[in-house]
Amino acid sequence: MPVAVAVEFLHAASLVLDDLPSMDDAPRRRGLPALHLSWGVATAELASVSLLARAFEVVASDEALSRALASRILGELARAVGAEGCCAGQAADLAADPTRLALDDLESIHARKTGALFVAAVRGGALAGGAGERTLSALTLYARNLGLAFQITDDLLDHEGDPESMGKNPAREGHRANFASVLGTDSAHRLVDELLAAAVEALQPIGRRGEVLADLARVVRDRRS
Amino acid sequence: MTSSRPTLDEARSRLRELGYLDAGVDRLLFRPVFEWRGGAFLIAILLGAFSAALTALAAVESSEPGFALSAAASLSLLAHVFVADLLPAALLALALAAFASRARTPGVAATMAGMVSALLVFALWIGGTYSLGREVSARTLLWAIPIGVVALFLAAAVRLGFLALAFARAGLLPRRTLRRVFAAAAALGLLVAILLLFSRRERPPAPSPQPSPRSAPLVVLAMDGLDLDGAGKNGPAAEVLARGATGWWPAERGSPPEIWTTLATGVDPTMHRVRALTRVRPLGSPLSLRPPWGTGWYLRGIGPRLGLVANAPVSHSDRKSLDFWEVAASAGISSLSVGWWAAGPWPGAVVVENREVFARAADGPGADREALRVFESDSRKGFALSTVYLPGCDIAREDPAARTAAQAPIAELLRREVGRANAGEIVLVVLAADSHPRAGALGRMVVFDGSAAVDGRSDSGSRQKSIQVLPVDAAPSILARMGIPPARDLAGQPVASLFAPGTLETATVLSYGPRVAPPASTAPERDQEYLEKLRSLGYLQ
Repeated sequence: MPVAVAVEFLHAASLVLDDLPSMDDAPRRRGLPALHLSWGVATAELASVSLLARAFEVVASDEALSRALASRILGELARAVGAEGCCAGQAADLAADPTRLALDDLESIHARKTGALFVAAVRGGALAGGAGERTLSALTLYARNLGLAFQITDDLLDHEGDPESMGKNPAREGHRANFASVLGTDSAHRLVDELLAAAVEALQPIGRRGEVLADLARVVRDRRS
Repeated sequence: MTSSRPTLDEARSRLRELGYLDAGVDRLLFRPVFEWRGGAFLIAILLGAFSAALTALAAVESSEPGFALSAAASLSLLAHVFVADLLPAALLALALAAFASRARTPGVAATMAGMVSALLVFALWIGGTYSLGREVSARTLLWAIPIGVVALFLAAAVRLGFLALAFARAGLLPRRTLRRVFAAAAALGLLVAILLLFSRRERPPAPSPQPSPRSAPLVVLAMDGLDLDGAGKNGPAAEVLARGATGWWPAERGSPPEIWTTLATGVDPTMHRVRALTRVRPLGSPLSLRPPWGTGWYLRGIGPRLGLVANAPVSHSDRKSLDFWEVAASAGISSLSVGWWAAGPWPGAVVVENREVFARAADGPGADREALRVFESDSRKGFALSTVYLPGCDIAREDPAARTAAQAPIAELLRREVGRANAGEIVLVVLAADSHPRAGALGRMVVFDGSAAVDGRSDSGSRQKSIQVLPVDAAPSILARMGIPPARDLAGQPVASLFAPGTLETATVLSYGPRVAPPASTAPERDQEYLEKLRSLGYLQ
């Protein structure tokens, strides 16, 4: 559970930063005004940093984890948000011409900005559960495919979704190139299916223990908001 | 950067390069599954039905070598079984489809479904082959090649269809093809099939047994339905037979061909394989056949009702063991056989099939008259071994008057032949069995062998000996009395106590070898005439 809480804290922190005027400058998040619009940019930045610190704290203070294991999990989480992960992805996103992104660009941004956290979440949980290297390898493959499927679905919803149910402003996202616009919606839908298929198949080595994760993949496929 | 939109294939390819999807994802699998979805099961259904048809052909060819050389017969059998098995294949596919839509791990389940399908093909092959013959020739194993290939394709098709349906519900597909699993399973299946079939491999051809010459000719009278334990108990035939040395066995109900072929071959029906009165001829086939396991529901059930499959009479092609006159003829002993079931041409023997006898008979007594006319005609004299099957009493079993009428000439025949035996002109063996025995009835082998049969008294003055024997003892006893070494692989053995002392051959041989007969190739019209005759005589409903 501490690893799940930590991942949620990291995710929340990344969303707060992502919405800032210096970043995506998003006015709404999950159907509500973005944090910086309600409490100010400084408070939002401090809240984000606090969430990051708290994420590492809950893992580090978990007595159920050995020191070595906690250290390894913290390393996974740190890489996901650091210069190889979310920060790098966000930097690339900001530097890119949003109207001229190609598939490789989108993937590169996604892999670090979103995908890295998917991988960290799955690997962190697996490490806490005592998974071996073979299981970790399978779960990493699962997380990579699931993460990209999630992102493409997200982009498809930006194109096709109901703004009210999504809690975002699709019109604002509309000018940015994304997977849906770069691939076309038909191809994007097809690739989501194939990525989810590959994700679930990657779970085969862990047998029935992977069923919950397979269900999660179905949730991504059926997601409407 | 490029402003042009990548195609789906390009995007898929690029994502694979970037480590998504999986390079091992079978593109040949993904694409058709996504395109066809549940329709992919159609291929599995077609392949499944074809596999079943191919195993049926392999089984028939194994039992009747040369069947597959007839293109018309092969295609006809393939077409019939293929079309018939589309229905069960579709039902199996429906069951799999229901399972597929609920499978939590479709990849594993699909692989298992494919493997089970392939195993079913091997089971049909082995079961079908065994059902038609307990021995399998080496060339049968060559069928492993086409059957293995078809089973492999079927396994892949079932897996594909399974995944397609699983995907249709869940949108999930496995990333690995598991081809190696199928290849390994196919290899294992082939190995098991070959080992199983090889364990029942056909006996090698055996050299003809060398007889020790005996002086007196041997006559075998085979009488069906004398009812010696019922109405015929005190009849003239029973009176004559009471003077012989008798071996008896509890009678069991069975088809006339089955019972009398057991007596003539010395092996059980599981070995000689003559069971029913009829075989089948699929529409369009010039050859008739016995339905292998797995096809009877159509070839014996639905097909005839739809007019797509005709009955054909039992044939010597059904028989996998040698009749005693065939063994004798192979040993160089002149032999005559008249009227026996499932009898057919054999080198060195004069064989009059019972269809020829029945063709000129209108009833039971008529059948006996015709059989005896042929048997006793001048041109048939001089055989060292001669035998005749007399079905009259069995045919007339529902008509007491006709049955009594049939018994009179039989009693006369018995008196005459017993007289010859007592005079030392012949050795007489009477086989009296009943295809429709009453409870407690007995089958009998009654022997009149010179001094062993003297007016109902043995040398010791007691009643003639009467001992329990087996039906399968008849053939080896007759052969041993002819001086032919009995084969050790027969189920029965000579009953020396029924014959004159020291007259039976004591040496043995390992085997007489298998009986390999060409496929039954009589014209359908002739078969229908024969069947009509069997119907008119009460054998068939």
